[in-house]
Amino acid sequence: MGHDYQAVQWNPQKKRYDGLLALGVILFLGAFIGGGAALFPEATAETLLLRGLGTASFFLLHVVLCIGPLARIDTRWLPLLYNRRHMGVTMASLAMAHGAFALLQFHAFGDVNAFVSLFVSNPRWDSLAQFPFQPLGAAALVIIVLMACTSHDFWLANLTAPVWKALHMLVYVAYGLLVLHVALGVLQAETSPLLVALVAAGVLTVGTLHLVAARKDSCDDAEMGPLPAADDGWIDACAPEDIEDGRAKIILAAGERIAIFRSGNEFSALSAVCQHQNGPLGEGRIIDGLVVCPWHGYQYKPRCGQSPEPFQEVVPTFALRLQGGRVYLNPRPLPLGTDTDPLHVETSHA
Amino acid sequence: MRNDEFFIGWQASGPPGVMGFVKVRAFALILGALLVAAVAMTSQRPFASSNFEFGVERPFEGRLEHVPYPVLSVDRPGSEEESHWLLTVFGKRGADEFTLPLDGHRVALRGSLIHRDNAVMVELLPDSIKDLGPGTPRQRSAATSVVTLDGEIVDSKCFLGLMKPGQLKPHRACATRCISGGVPPVLLVRDEQGPPTYYLLVDEDGSAVNDRVLDYVAEPVTITGRLEELGDLRILRANPEKYLRR
Repeated sequence: MGHDYQAVQWNPQKKRYDGLLALGVILFLGAFIGGGAALFPEATAETLLLRGLGTASFFLLHVVLCIGPLARIDTRWLPLLYNRRHMGVTMASLAMAHGAFALLQFHAFGDVNAFVSLFVSNPRWDSLAQFPFQPLGAAALVIIVLMACTSHDFWLANLTAPVWKALHMLVYVAYGLLVLHVALGVLQAETSPLLVALVAAGVLTVGTLHLVAARKDSCDDAEMGPLPAADDGWIDACAPEDIEDGRAKIILAAGERIAIFRSGNEFSALSAVCQHQNGPLGEGRIIDGLVVCPWHGYQYKPRCGQSPEPFQEVVPTFALRLQGGRVYLNPRPLPLGTDTDPLHVETSHA
Repeated sequence: MRNDEFFIGWQASGPPGVMGFVKVRAFALILGALLVAAVAMTSQRPFASSNFEFGVERPFEGRLEHVPYPVLSVDRPGSEEESHWLLTVFGKRGADEFTLPLDGHRVALRGSLIHRDNAVMVELLPDSIKDLGPGTPRQRSAATSVVTLDGEIVDSKCFLGLMKPGQLKPHRACATRCISGGVPPVLLVRDEQGPPTYYLLVDEDGSAVNDRVLDYVAEPVTITGRLEELGDLRILRANPEKYLRR
């Protein structure tokens, strides 16, 4: 968010979040590895460790993937979204440990390089039943590690939001690869239907939540527009009283989501998309005179769309006018950073 | 339901309603994670009662033979018969380069035991081998019968105890590397009534087949060949080109 990047900008909520995350991971590994050692005294430690790490990582990936749609469906899930980066990095760390153990156990100390062995030890690419499942996991691990390494805002700023977002959408490719990795690997060797049921429940949960969230977004889009423009290009957006104080009304114009915020009797229009991670800025609030994004708390001045110093984020702003007791919007964005007086509407109108 | 509270992550604390909502679900999530861990852990197949005495070095003495894979023929106390213990070295490697020069000799060596049921393998320390002179010529039985067996090709080292499981598809890559590196390949035949049986795989001439079975590892196969028994070792002579995938 700022010029001087820190590895983690700690605050009390992040510490609580990470504490619970660490507790969950420790309990999960303890239950799997400790419980496994007690229930199966013949099992080797490395096998339990390998399986425990893989299972924990795969489970955590499901949680990471579910948080986004859950927060779209109900904003009360947003505290889990706020620090999702730490959950993703934890998941990637568990996956790396699983991958490293697998590489060491199955491919190292042989007659070819372990990384070469990963791709040549099972040549049955022509058979679904015998398909090499380990390269699928390796490909997913590369994506996950790449995402973890670029998850910091430093990379978001330097890669630009669209590139960063596209890169991080690869998580769905990684997820697909991992489902195949599990289905064509351990599920073929194990006999318990409970394991199949667990994986199926995970895939179903992730898929259903994404569908429900997409349907909600689609309904919201249908409600907000697109609104027709008048001959001069201005759009009749709404009546002033349609917007609650401290909140915004989002309209769809010229293919963009634009948020008209109200602060008392003053109205300002900004892009409804946060510059940080494309968050839903239009669902934010005006607090202490600044528009605040609900995802990560990024702030913007309603007058110019700029973040307060020393931050440099800026979102497009749009001109407003009052005509016939209605708020009109010009959907052509003003030059970035243009300082514009808010539209003032007399109390009787608002 | 309309929610007037607004969460801002960088603030010291969140609104009570939102945080209460999340707290309940966060703990439910942790309980769910524990349940998933428990179900996944208890749903694993049972593990074999095999063992690798990692880090435990023992002295051994016997006669080196190659069948064609290296074995240490060890006298059984109180018996005329011998036990035949397969030999390997650290990693996914066969022991041939260290044992072939001493074929037929009595040797003393140190190593770690790998054992499953009555089958034994020794991971020897190459530098520990001491030549004790030529041994008594071995007595080999003739090929006894033609058999057709359904099973799975695995590497003897992992199957006998180095890894659990040392079989099935997840272990395929490891078994391939082991066999490619010289560890004796075996056909594992499962018997619902008792412990699985394994057969050392050689070709019709009795030569090693490591490089010729790699494509079949960890897959269900049917092999027809001549069964030869060397004491407690079962050796299956068959042409790898005639192995059948099931």
